[in-house]
Amino acid sequence: MFEAKMLQSSVLKKIIESLKDLFADANFDCSSSGITLQDMDSSHVALCYLKLRSDEEGFEDYRCDRNITLGVNLGLMSKILKCAGNDDVVTLRAEDEPNILTFIFDSKNSERVSKYDIKLMEIDSELLGIPDTDYSCVVKMPSHEFQRICSNLSQLGDSVTIDCHKEGVDFKVAGEQGSGAIKLKQTTSVDKEEDQVTVQLNEPVTQSFALKFLCAFTKATSLSDTVNLSLTQDTPVVVEYPIAQHGYLRFYLAPKIEEEN
Amino acid sequence: MDSKRKPPMSTGPSAKRARNDFEDDPSTFEEELALLEKVEAEMSQASSVGSQQSTPPGSRGGSIPASSKLAPYWNPKWIRPSLPPPDPSKDAIVFQQIDLEHYIGSPIRGMPGSTVGPVPIIRMFGITMEGQSVMCHIHGFTPYFYVPAPENFRPEHCRHFKDALNHMVINDMRSNKDNISQAVLAVELVTKESIYGYHGPNGMRPFLKITVAYPKLIAPSKRLLESGFAVPNLYPVRGYQTFESNIDFEIRFMVDTDVLGCNWMEIPADQYRLRSSSSIPAPVSQCQIELDVAYDRFVSHPADGEWQKVAPFRILSFDIECAGRRGVFPEANKDSVIQISNMVIRQGERDPFIRNVFTLNTCAPIVGSQVLSFSNEADMLKAWSEFVNVVDPDILTGYNIVNFDIPYLINRAAALKVSTFPLLARIKDSRSVIKESTFQSKQMGKRENKVINIEGRVQFDLLQILQRDYKLRSYRLNAVSYHFLQEQKEDVQHSIITDLQNGNDQTRRRLAVYCLKDAMLPLRLLDKLMCIINYMEMARVTGVPLPYLLTRGQQIKVVSQLLRKAKEQDLVMPAHKVEAGEDYTGGYVIDPTRGYYKIPIATLDFSSLYPSIMQAHNLCYTSLLSPSQREKMSADEFIKTPSGNYFVKSSIRKGILPEILGDLLSARKRAKADLKKETDPLRKKVLDGRQLALKISANSVYGFTGAQVGKLPCLEISQSVTAFGRQMIETTRQLVQDNYTIEKGYKHNAEVIYGDTDSVMVKFGVDTVAESMELGKEAAQMISDTFPHPIKLEFEKVYYPYLLINKKRYAGLFYSRPDTYDKMDCKGIETVRRDNCPLVANMINSCLQKILIGRDPEGAVDHAKQTISDLLCNRIDISQLVITKELTKTGEEYAGKQAHVELAARMRKRDPGSAPALGDRVPYVIIAGVKGAAAFEKSEDPIYVLENNIPIDTRYYLDNQLKMPLLRIFEPVIGEHKAQAVLFKGEHTLTKTKVTSKIGGLMAFAKKRSTCIGCKTPLDKDNSAVCKHCKNIETEIYQKEVIHLNALEEKFGRLWTQCQRCQGSLHEDILCTSRDCPIFYMRKKVQKDLADQDAIIKRFGVPVW
Repeated sequence: MFEAKMLQSSVLKKIIESLKDLFADANFDCSSSGITLQDMDSSHVALCYLKLRSDEEGFEDYRCDRNITLGVNLGLMSKILKCAGNDDVVTLRAEDEPNILTFIFDSKNSERVSKYDIKLMEIDSELLGIPDTDYSCVVKMPSHEFQRICSNLSQLGDSVTIDCHKEGVDFKVAGEQGSGAIKLKQTTSVDKEEDQVTVQLNEPVTQSFALKFLCAFTKATSLSDTVNLSLTQDTPVVVEYPIAQHGYLRFYLAPKIEEEN
Repeated sequence: MDSKRKPPMSTGPSAKRARNDFEDDPSTFEEELALLEKVEAEMSQASSVGSQQSTPPGSRGGSIPASSKLAPYWNPKWIRPSLPPPDPSKDAIVFQQIDLEHYIGSPIRGMPGSTVGPVPIIRMFGITMEGQSVMCHIHGFTPYFYVPAPENFRPEHCRHFKDALNHMVINDMRSNKDNISQAVLAVELVTKESIYGYHGPNGMRPFLKITVAYPKLIAPSKRLLESGFAVPNLYPVRGYQTFESNIDFEIRFMVDTDVLGCNWMEIPADQYRLRSSSSIPAPVSQCQIELDVAYDRFVSHPADGEWQKVAPFRILSFDIECAGRRGVFPEANKDSVIQISNMVIRQGERDPFIRNVFTLNTCAPIVGSQVLSFSNEADMLKAWSEFVNVVDPDILTGYNIVNFDIPYLINRAAALKVSTFPLLARIKDSRSVIKESTFQSKQMGKRENKVINIEGRVQFDLLQILQRDYKLRSYRLNAVSYHFLQEQKEDVQHSIITDLQNGNDQTRRRLAVYCLKDAMLPLRLLDKLMCIINYMEMARVTGVPLPYLLTRGQQIKVVSQLLRKAKEQDLVMPAHKVEAGEDYTGGYVIDPTRGYYKIPIATLDFSSLYPSIMQAHNLCYTSLLSPSQREKMSADEFIKTPSGNYFVKSSIRKGILPEILGDLLSARKRAKADLKKETDPLRKKVLDGRQLALKISANSVYGFTGAQVGKLPCLEISQSVTAFGRQMIETTRQLVQDNYTIEKGYKHNAEVIYGDTDSVMVKFGVDTVAESMELGKEAAQMISDTFPHPIKLEFEKVYYPYLLINKKRYAGLFYSRPDTYDKMDCKGIETVRRDNCPLVANMINSCLQKILIGRDPEGAVDHAKQTISDLLCNRIDISQLVITKELTKTGEEYAGKQAHVELAARMRKRDPGSAPALGDRVPYVIIAGVKGAAAFEKSEDPIYVLENNIPIDTRYYLDNQLKMPLLRIFEPVIGEHKAQAVLFKGEHTLTKTKVTSKIGGLMAFAKKRSTCIGCKTPLDKDNSAVCKHCKNIETEIYQKEVIHLNALEEKFGRLWTQCQRCQGSLHEDILCTSRDCPIFYMRKKVQKDLADQDAIIKRFGVPVW
């Protein structure tokens, strides 16, 4: 028996919204320690890793008797979640050898209880992860700032070059019709912690990435006030959105290698 | 949940596996060859000591100098049977001619025609029933054409006219090398009538027949006459319309002397002069009998009765192998020819009696085939050329010989300076040269071809025949032989050929066997498809030389027949100037009432619709009425066609097109009647070829009148024909629906549910095939009676059940007898189209079979669901997903980006050598790419996909390939909205397999985490097999996986053996990389699956007990 009661359906809604475009069908792996979701996009360039820890306060109740895997069409799941109010409490429930996943939405004042079942999919795929390493550089910045940078730069070109150095971080784009650059300096002086830009630098990094994917990742902006970018030369970038009281959502994106010619 | 996943071992269409039963005898090509030798040995023993000429005889055609490199390999079978020379005073020469052409030579004394200057001479090649080769020089025939005589022309004016024209033509010549004084030989006053239009009861007019010295003078004479010509003191300058000035000289000759293509010729005793080494002129050809004859002294036998027989033509099929360099298509000036294999068969026999292979460097012996090894390439080429002359084949065949093998050999010989090589023709000193030509027709599109002159030997390239007559997915020899013979062959890449050549005599032997097979297959295919017989019959029916059928379009055949008929009635054909005109509407289509009909549907057809309309209404050039003519005639003498044109009735003047058609159709009836009586299989083939040729010819007459860039288009005829056709279909519908009603005593109201051009589909409402047939026959008879003779509506078949999808798209079970069905008939459905993947065709086909034959729509739905599920789970064989398109232009020339063009460009970047070239058909699959990417970005080479385990874009195949065809056939059966939901949203779509590619940006960094083999949950520590929940059933899981492994191993073993069988050797590695072969893809895939499965088993650890 698996049962997880989340206090805020809006969190789950936002997670699924941010994933469903790049990742059509995915397996939720549920164990006593929590729920994880790991999937690679169809072109094998981006990977997402979602972790919702069972011991965090976001879950009012959490129970998982044995490890189970729930294959879900995220498009369908998003439609179901749209039926829930933002403040509803959502419960996910499945049997030990499940065929269906049940969603129960309780409105705040318990006047209305709705229940939806969806058929599960059986998705046979290899479980791929990117091993944790020490990154040369970790940039922390407001998530809306990152979203704005990506959307602005994508007007001009397909790929962004992220250049991390002592003073801060530069985002540069060059396209057929023009080029653009945005410099962010470390801002420790700002009062609110979430508005700060900090750069932890061991080694400078300069690396290009496809903007199309970064823009897709920024759909998760509303999940968190801040975003962490972890970079090492010639390895995938990690874009991490912490989820308060739950865990985090991470995206990995392969670096763009310049074509030889 | 497990029940959803079907065991993956049951993949692949079993129909594709031709022979993988272990029980049946391995019939490999090598054993076939060996068997041939055995049979021959027995035969020669049985026929006792049949004194074979064992030495190279001195007789003509079979001699080679002792110094020749070919001499050590001399084989008495090579030469033609030698008979004592005929006695011109006693022996008639009877032979079947196969080709004729003209050349310009000097006149010979005693022969008719001009006695001075260059004269055109026809040379005709043929074979006697005894297999002797014959060449005739036919003298005295001169080219001519007509112009209408000026008014008040008197016979004595002929001389002036001739002199004036002669003067102009001579002056017009740039240089008069041959010092011709008489370009125009004669001008005669004759009475003829133009074929075009009706000219009243006394239509004959005076014409001038202008005879010129040789064919090349026709064009300038015509030009001068058309642009303006005057006869001094008699006629002022005026332009003359010319008649029959655009007829090939050979056709002119054949029409005037009643020679047909491939017919039998008889040259009576005492009418010819034999050429011999002592005669003057001496023989110029390799033929055993060479003679001179006058053009009016031979007998040409029409192809009737005894003269339908076929002489034992020698057909040489050959194939060459070149040592290509890696990544480059062989070029004749750099890459050597390393092997040439030859097979010679006598027409009518089953097996080739000469089988050999010329190899560069040594080669181990091959049972059943002679091996001729040469250490020097130039020697080999020279010897091969000598071999061709000794064997003296009448027909050369092979696969793509005209555009590849022959030009390559000629160019290679030139590069190696083998000066005697191009002497391949029957004319002793004629050198074969290569010319380029483009050929364009509506039927074939534009094609670039090479033209090589090899006089006396017909080049009968199988590839060209197939491209003309059959629409195929792939024209590679491998695919073609699989399609027609269900026989696979190895496909060895160019680069591997070089490796084999550079190996030892065993590897070269291997190559030689491969090469021999490539020479054998065209013969097998020619026999199976009866190409030679059918083309010969077509030549006989239409009266054109055999090679014209391959090198010329459809029109020449009709022109030949038209001229023959016109000659009988003193009609002449105007030389038409090519100009484009307006288009006219085609056949009529009654809007289909779509649906799935579970009751019999009768089909009524107009047999030979267009020809019979032309006959019934006397539509012809000669009966066409101009408005001015019409005013002079009474209303009962002509008819108005539905398109508003006027033609006289046959009682006034019978048209010649209806006559030609009448002859063709009655000849066809006779042939069909004979066919029924005939028992001899070879003669049956001939007759069947004949009736087919007659049918095609009859139908092409209509096309000829509508061909606007043709020799003699006549839109009045063609548009009247289609207008009548439309009217008749409409009338038929009315008659059926008015007569077969409940009011008139029938059980149901009949309904015409569909009609197209020459057929209507009728729902009589009855429940059994027998009743439907009864009514169909009755209706056909009743309606036929309302139309003029010979238009006939025939009841042909009943479809039951019948699935009508749309215009020109339907399928049904075909009944011609009430008790059992004949076949499943599909029109316009994806089963036959070439622009989608085989999965679609196979799936639609099996669904239709279930719906129509099994009458099990439920089963069909289940099958479709299962296939969709297989697709989502990556269980479909990749060969099923390959789409092929022809690369006709380079990327820049295409307006939009196209998948196959983009792929070809990408492949060129990866490896320029193996990338597809212009004109190749490019195979590709659509792979999963970045979301939102266009299909052309996602096309990929199937082999690359296999090697790198790249995931397929299942969504694309579902939405763009399967969806529409499936909905089309299922919507009429299970309802419009339901079909979509049932097929594409059901439970079967919930199981998917995601393939992990070897390439892709993240793959270099990602690490695989183990999941439980039992329940797929992630495992905490790697290298264990199952999670703790599944631990108690671990043995069960292990067993399941081992069974799976065994199944894969067995499958791999079977596929491997299949390929070994195909290559004809069980103890050699497999080299084949045929992209057309489903086995190849399966073998690759199962190899990969096996490795993966093995890894899974290893995770259970070493078994300990």
